[in-house]
Amino acid sequence: MKKFLLGILWKLLLVVLGFFAVTFTMYFFNLDMKATAMVAPLLEKWYDRLERKQYI
Amino acid sequence: MKTVEKIINPVPRAGEQSPGKIYDEKLKVRARREWRGVKDTFYDYTRWLYLLSVLGRFIMVPRNVKGFFRYRWMMSYLFVPHGMDKFTIGLRGEALRIAHTSFNFVIADVTQAIANCFRGDRRVGNDKAYSDKCVITDENSMVTFMMGFDRDKVHTILREVPTMFASNIFHQFNVMHYLDIAQQYGIPGDVCPMPEAEAGISIEDDFCVLGCCAVQNNTTCDGSLMGNGIIAKRLDREYGIPTFQLATPLRHKEPDVMDYAAQEIKNAIAFVEKHTGEKWDWDVYFAAAKRVNDATRCRIAQMEINSTPYPQFFGAAFSLYNDTNYMGNSGRDPNFVKIDHKLLKLAEQGYKAKRMYAREYRHRAIVWGVQPQYVIDMLYWMVQCWGVVPLTDMLSVINTDMIADTDTPENREQAYRDMAMLNMEMIMRNHTHGGYKVLLDDLWDLCEKMNADARAASTSCGSLTTCATRASLPARPSATRSTTTCAPSCARSRSTRRWRTFLTTKHTKEIAI
Repeated sequence: MKKFLLGILWKLLLVVLGFFAVTFTMYFFNLDMKATAMVAPLLEKWYDRLERKQYI
Repeated sequence: MKTVEKIINPVPRAGEQSPGKIYDEKLKVRARREWRGVKDTFYDYTRWLYLLSVLGRFIMVPRNVKGFFRYRWMMSYLFVPHGMDKFTIGLRGEALRIAHTSFNFVIADVTQAIANCFRGDRRVGNDKAYSDKCVITDENSMVTFMMGFDRDKVHTILREVPTMFASNIFHQFNVMHYLDIAQQYGIPGDVCPMPEAEAGISIEDDFCVLGCCAVQNNTTCDGSLMGNGIIAKRLDREYGIPTFQLATPLRHKEPDVMDYAAQEIKNAIAFVEKHTGEKWDWDVYFAAAKRVNDATRCRIAQMEINSTPYPQFFGAAFSLYNDTNYMGNSGRDPNFVKIDHKLLKLAEQGYKAKRMYAREYRHRAIVWGVQPQYVIDMLYWMVQCWGVVPLTDMLSVINTDMIADTDTPENREQAYRDMAMLNMEMIMRNHTHGGYKVLLDDLWDLCEKMNADARAASTSCGSLTTCATRASLPARPSATRSTTTCAPSCARSRSTRRWRTFLTTKHTKEIAI
């Protein structure tokens, strides 16, 4: 039982550490905003294609 | 010329370096986030995770995904973490916590506002029962006339805040498209870009369409008077949403306008009652009035701390939090109270520890005019690179009087006058209308009170009144140093803006040297 619980704790610790390693790398190297900056021009093209009822 | 004593930070700051060194010129984002020492970097990381969770929860609702692909301005919200990074440039310790506490709360509030807009929007959520209890209000309008309506029964939708105002803070090129649209339809490019962009959004049909009625306000500048007409026409004639024009007197320092101003508030309340079917509740009003007074006391306390050699809550976060609390909330949301007190506690803690947020403080500046407040990086850059501390700004210098907050027959009549006073003393309006006394004399008084020796203002020609201030400055014998900046959205095109930014950056550097 003790071994089983330690195994779960160990796996949990690995998951938390893995989550931290991945997200902290994303955070510190600003990967989220770099990806967004690359996606933005594609989104602009999408919005340009939409039909709108323009008038004043 | 007034001078202040230079203060050198005796404590070394972890990861201290020029903010420009971690900026990626090609992608227009940072190459990496700032290293602030283990404790502060970890704190900033946890707040980043929190922001991602707010955005994640929002986008998990299917109608929000539909709204995201319908409205161009929604793209800006992908840049929220980048926007938050701008509010924390160079900050450590209490100031970092203050910036996150205040602005994370604003972000959560705006996220909820977008979700509410999409819920009632005829094109997206189309929840008619909800929409029928929504009142659309102007972005630059105080929502005092909604203070006496139960928030669970009548919903106040500041439609232009998520569409233009907040989205422009996170992605400062966002409004260029809408300015281009407005100018394609013949609107001149030299009015205030904020209402012009709003007019462009309306022309482009890029506003959410919801609500049983709308209240517009003659806000603060030439552009808003023009833009309101264009927006009201579409609301009223195309979408059948009746629109009330709340005409607020501009000579707000003159006591003879008060009766008229109070009557306008009564008319606005009657209009909302008629269209929502809900009644004004004095208990709800006076509870909100207590919270307005509480927020005023906290703001005054923050300003007092900022007048000392060790200011704590300053820069764009101070202004934008005050905007949201004073104008967009007006005591209606009780959650602001605990945030106000938390912020004050952090500021007092930082003040007692004599915490500084740069290597040195060389000058103490008042940010006067609206535009320099919204070049968000600029204010933090000023303190980090030049040691110029932006103590406070035009938008935060608002009402300091207490309003009646106990329910008596006399106070019920006084309440209309209080609401009118708050509306007239609204941000920007109270210093851009009312002549030189509010535009110039108040500035000099503020310089005295805050022990300031510098002023940051705008070279934008969009706002004629602030241009007038700039023109008047040299005539003042005790004139403080003047630093000029350019608003990000004031130009006619991206290339013009880059050209202007280049010129002003060059110009300001010369002044600093």
